Amino acid sequence: MSEFFAMSGYGQYVWPAFGIGFGIVVLIYITAVGSLAAAKQEARRRLEMNPPGETG
Amino acid sequence: MATWTWFHRFGSPPWVYGFAARWAPWFGGAAVLAMLVALYGGLVLAPPDYQQKDAFRIVYIHAPVATLSMAVYSTMAVAAAVGLIWRMKVAHAAASACAPIGAWFTVATLATGMLWGKPMWGAYWVWDPRLTSELVLLFLYLGYMGLRAGIDDPQKADKASAVLAVVGFVNVPIIRYSVNWWNSLHQPPTRLVGEADMDWSMVWPLLLMLLAFFLYFGWVLLIRLRAELLRRERNASWVREVVA
Repeated sequence: MSEFFAMSGYGQYVWPAFGIGFGIVVLIYITAVGSLAAAKQEARRRLEMNPPGETG
Repeated sequence: MATWTWFHRFGSPPWVYGFAARWAPWFGGAAVLAMLVALYGGLVLAPPDYQQKDAFRIVYIHAPVATLSMAVYSTMAVAAAVGLIWRMKVAHAAASACAPIGAWFTVATLATGMLWGKPMWGAYWVWDPRLTSELVLLFLYLGYMGLRAGIDDPQKADKASAVLAVVGFVNVPIIRYSVNWWNSLHQPPTRLVGEADMDWSMVWPLLLMLLAFFLYFGWVLLIRLRAELLRRERNASWVREVVA
């Protein structure tokens, strides 16, 4: 198992590369979901302030 | 005729919003599954390279994010061009949704490339044509987002940023062919099919990881597109219906 993590002496480069790469993958997903949640919240807020049937 | 009817649906924000909501989970499930299998194949099953040893495994993250950094920009430029030519709001929304995704893929490309460059070239960074043109790609994404953020009128922001996206597309073939056109430390393109430069045991996890990242891009793009459409159409009756 330690051989696997050592990556023939290149572990200090291989694991950070995968960590950064997949860390960014997770970050892109979280920011996308956050953006959608914020947009829905904003739309709901506008709906509450200006219910259907009311003008202005 | 039926094809064009199908295409015209993509001009309808409520239809696209529903389409994105239905399809995003399928893209997400397939992307995660493919990523896990490809990771196992790349990190465990593939043998070490005879020259680079296990350092070559960085290819399983670097090549997919690098490919996507260019593919996302190409998608953004095409969407921007469609928005400019046919004045489709959905196309401008799609272009806008692409930008942060592509910018993060470009950051990942540069970071993983630096971590591969250090043990192979002896330096994290060199002003090589491939690396420099990839850095220019990051500036193009940041410029696109900055331009959108700097213009208050949404229609003017759409037009100005679309022009930048289309003009900036010239950088994509420069990145792709920089290793052929100029002397470069970066290796030339690797053939993955036909007379492949790598053994199949190394190739299949890479092809699967590429597929996984394209599916992942589809997933996050559909989520961001929904958010973008809700913001743009905030006064439309369909938005009131979907959030009520």
